[in-house]
Amino acid sequence: MSAAAQGLRERLTGRRRGPGSRAVLPFLAIFAAFVLIALLAPLIAPNDPNSQNLMGRLKAPGVTARNITYWLGSDELGRDLVSRLIWGARISLSVAVLSVALSGVVGTVLGMAAATARGWVETVIMRLVDVFLSIPAVLLAIITVAVLGPGFTNVVIVLALTRWPRYARVAYGQTLSVANMPYVRLARFMGASMPRILFIHILPNIIGAITVVATLEFGLMVLFEAGLSFLGLGVQPPTASWGAMLSVGRNYVGSAWWISAFPGLCLFLLVLSVNLIGDHLRDRLDPKSR
Amino acid sequence: MGRYLARRLGQALVALFGVMTLIFFVQRLTGDPTYLLVPETATQADIEAMRASLGLDRPLLVQYGAFLADMARLDFGRSYIQNVPVIDIIASRLPYTLQLAGGALLVAFFIGVPLGVWMAVRRGHAEAKGFMGLVLAAQSMPTFWSGILMIMVFAVWNQWLPPSGAGGWKNLIMPSVALGLLSMATFARVARTSVLDELSKDYVRSARARGVTTGRLVRRHLLRNASIPVISIAAMEVSQLLAGAVIVETVFAWPGLGLLTVQSIVSRDFLVVQGVVLLGAFVTILLNFAADLLYSLVDPRIRLGGTS
Amino acid sequence: MKRLLAATALGLMAALSSPALDGALAKELITVDLVNEPSSLDPHKQWNPDSYYVYRNIFDNLVTRSDEGEIIPQVASAWEQVSDTQVKFTIRDDITFHDGTKLTPEDVVFSVKRITDPAFGSPQLGQFNKITGAEVTGENEVTLTTDGPYPVLLAQLVKLSVVPQHAVEEMGDDAFNAAPVGSGPYAFEAWNRGVDVTLTRNDAYWGDQGAFAEARFRAVPDASTRVADLQAGAADLAVSLNSDLAMQIEGAPGVKPLIALTERVAYLGFNTRIAPMDNAELRRAVAMSVDREGIVEGILGGNGAVVGQMLSPAHVGWADDIEPIPYDPDMAKEIVESLGDAATAEMSFDTAPVFDQRIVQAIQQMLADIGLNVSINMMDMASYLKKAQGPEESRPMFSFGRWSCACQDADGIMYPLLQSQSNWSRYASPEMDKLLEDGRSTLDEDARLAAYHAASELAKSDVALLPLYQVAAVYGASEKLDWTPTANESLFLNRMGWTE
Repeated sequence: MSAAAQGLRERLTGRRRGPGSRAVLPFLAIFAAFVLIALLAPLIAPNDPNSQNLMGRLKAPGVTARNITYWLGSDELGRDLVSRLIWGARISLSVAVLSVALSGVVGTVLGMAAATARGWVETVIMRLVDVFLSIPAVLLAIITVAVLGPGFTNVVIVLALTRWPRYARVAYGQTLSVANMPYVRLARFMGASMPRILFIHILPNIIGAITVVATLEFGLMVLFEAGLSFLGLGVQPPTASWGAMLSVGRNYVGSAWWISAFPGLCLFLLVLSVNLIGDHLRDRLDPKSR
Repeated sequence: MGRYLARRLGQALVALFGVMTLIFFVQRLTGDPTYLLVPETATQADIEAMRASLGLDRPLLVQYGAFLADMARLDFGRSYIQNVPVIDIIASRLPYTLQLAGGALLVAFFIGVPLGVWMAVRRGHAEAKGFMGLVLAAQSMPTFWSGILMIMVFAVWNQWLPPSGAGGWKNLIMPSVALGLLSMATFARVARTSVLDELSKDYVRSARARGVTTGRLVRRHLLRNASIPVISIAAMEVSQLLAGAVIVETVFAWPGLGLLTVQSIVSRDFLVVQGVVLLGAFVTILLNFAADLLYSLVDPRIRLGGTS
Repeated sequence: MKRLLAATALGLMAALSSPALDGALAKELITVDLVNEPSSLDPHKQWNPDSYYVYRNIFDNLVTRSDEGEIIPQVASAWEQVSDTQVKFTIRDDITFHDGTKLTPEDVVFSVKRITDPAFGSPQLGQFNKITGAEVTGENEVTLTTDGPYPVLLAQLVKLSVVPQHAVEEMGDDAFNAAPVGSGPYAFEAWNRGVDVTLTRNDAYWGDQGAFAEARFRAVPDASTRVADLQAGAADLAVSLNSDLAMQIEGAPGVKPLIALTERVAYLGFNTRIAPMDNAELRRAVAMSVDREGIVEGILGGNGAVVGQMLSPAHVGWADDIEPIPYDPDMAKEIVESLGDAATAEMSFDTAPVFDQRIVQAIQQMLADIGLNVSINMMDMASYLKKAQGPEESRPMFSFGRWSCACQDADGIMYPLLQSQSNWSRYASPEMDKLLEDGRSTLDEDARLAAYHAASELAKSDVALLPLYQVAAVYGASEKLDWTPTANESLFLNRMGWTE
């Protein structure tokens, strides 16, 4: 119990930070590496990710067929898994980035608007938040695909549609607490315009909390994209995404483990490192958990 | 308090009505179940006849009116596919959803909360950080993958657990763990934060000064005071669990509402979807309401609803 | 609401108290993993595999098919074509329903009238709506009347289950659906909604007795989980697997794949009514670009047989002498190049998750290889069906399908796909329409064969669609299960047994 007591003492005396903040560095490196791979995909992928070889299906890692060595094996259509993983990084990362950006911007703006405008605007927006939180994501996904057609853009739209209420709630709560601060009241009293108050006075104060949510959401978006692929509503084949590769590969767990193992590992590492980075940011930025 | 309750109730009803209306119309944007019902050789006339017998050939607004009238009488209608009252279908699936949600909450709670408390007490130490990493790792795998891996390991290679379906309590273990791991990090985090909050309070300092041991302090005071946020997050987490259950139930062939939702959406069984979504919305709104109340009871300083 | 609570409490108790399965019971019990639970157990209601796999065992049909695919007697012991539009059936007099009452000719008439009554709203109406009359015309004798000569009548009657009039009328449609009473080799025992349906052997069955005292049908939507169930011994038979899962089963102890060629034909369909696929030369290039042998050997592990007509050898109308258009990607590329702009338009390949995506992607790649610009458009099944049967000009430019009419007759496959007015057709040719009409409106077997031969020739020369291969159904089973799957994808428990 003495170690625990020491922790308590540190806590009580306000002395903080041991190895914690440095522990996040390797994960930052992993994340940066994935981003780099995604950016450089055309340069570093050894083969065409969509080129099939029906006679070279399900080859184990290291096997050579038709002049191509499958260093990480081949998939159910004889495509090179290394190249698909590299190109897949692009899709998985950009779906997550775009959907986080879209839902973050929409949610934040609506949340701030609700908190500052009050009245019926507030009622409409916040009830809409309730409504969207009550509708199953699968239903939204199927509706979007049925109405707009399938594809990369629509995956982003589906994810943004499902997740914006999360940002709206945070932005709403944060804005409410900031809006009553003396300097904001002063600005309003001095006749500053509403957009000016929102973007100059309020946004900088809530952006920290929004960033924390966005980081934590990022990992979730990567997983959601994978889940949509599992339900047949993800990016269109033959486009490689880690989620799509994994959802096909899981049918081969007992016969060709490599099809799911490698995209699974990449996905796991990506989500884990983003989550750890997010957790770290949360400790640093979110006043409530400090 | 009474006015606050009335207003919250009003808001909840508005949200429910919104959900009902939205669900009704957007579903009908996606086509209808007739093509799925008739054999492939059916002619256009057969399809029209089928559509008429389901009442789907009526103008949309007429259908909406009929739907509202049914809702007012708490009549959820009948499934197009199964020809059974929706209420019976939901009732048969609800127990399984409750079991799964309960099992998952147990897993998330009894692993997540102790870890969170421990991490708070050991804050700043490498192993506390490491445990947070482990907790986060548990929710960094897509369940459709970790699920099949669990089945292979625990049911196929070692025959310790049944691979799928509902039956005895053993069937509940794998789906509960798969679903519970997703929420574990949330519990750990909230437990850690609220214990940290408590640690900084005066009574803890004075207790320390009186020489109360750490273990006793944690057991006697911290846990009780830190438990309120944890309980309220548990309430909110239930609705998250229901969303995650869609994939877990598909993988483990668990006959809960998540699986029913996907199947009815895919088969355009509108009335079943409406019933399930309405139930889900009702529960979500109720739980949020309860969580708010809980907060305000614990801490009267919180301005109710934030918008008075 | 009270009802909901009461049912929930009951269900909770039932779910928590149901005992774990006992190993010793396994010999007497067969467990079958379906994809979904049956939609209905009333055989006159829903028409989907997960439903009829179960209810076909509870009911007898007017006629049935042998394992070899021949139409043989069941409830009707004999039949005779009395005129162009009338067939007289002799009804067996030794059949009793599970409730002990006798099956009478009146029950047969009732069943026909029930399923053909538009007010009843059976989704299967389209398979039986040529029948305009059913009458008891003598002792143990029923005569059916059709609205014209109808050569496919018997093939359709394979799917007509006979229900007891008294039970349906006393119970009402809902109660009958929830607890059906039939005359088949297995009797309904329990339907634990969402979980399983249990049947028990009918020890008084007039025909072949089943080998298992009890049968349990479970709903397991994920194919990997169905395979895991087999490997773990939790299921004895699993449906709807694919060739790669069969390979995994092959390598695992205690289980085996069961594979049978079916009456299902895989095809690549095109919308020949709109540009650019209205160009027959382009369609010919497409046909030459698809490596059908490669698909069957490479992806399907040899399970399937390449065909050159939109039929399988299991169909009436199959011709031995129609060869597939040869695979020739170089020639195809030349044609595409010679067509210039016409061939570079963006075209969409519409599909849904139920179709084998390995094949869809392989074909898309083959089309891209000859220079066509084709992208895959995946949507959910209901959206796909809506598009495929929507207005002609918006039907899919390309689609991959696996068609079965469950009637093993050319009429059930070529008519809907190629007749210009049909809601699936993307092809219009007066000549084709006439041939298909001839084929369905004469009882003369030779004349029918000639019509379908000509229709297949025409479909090939005009490349109306591209037949790919005869589909093999893949099941997984316990090594101890003795069963030969059939071409019509039926699943009769009394035709299975345990090997010793």
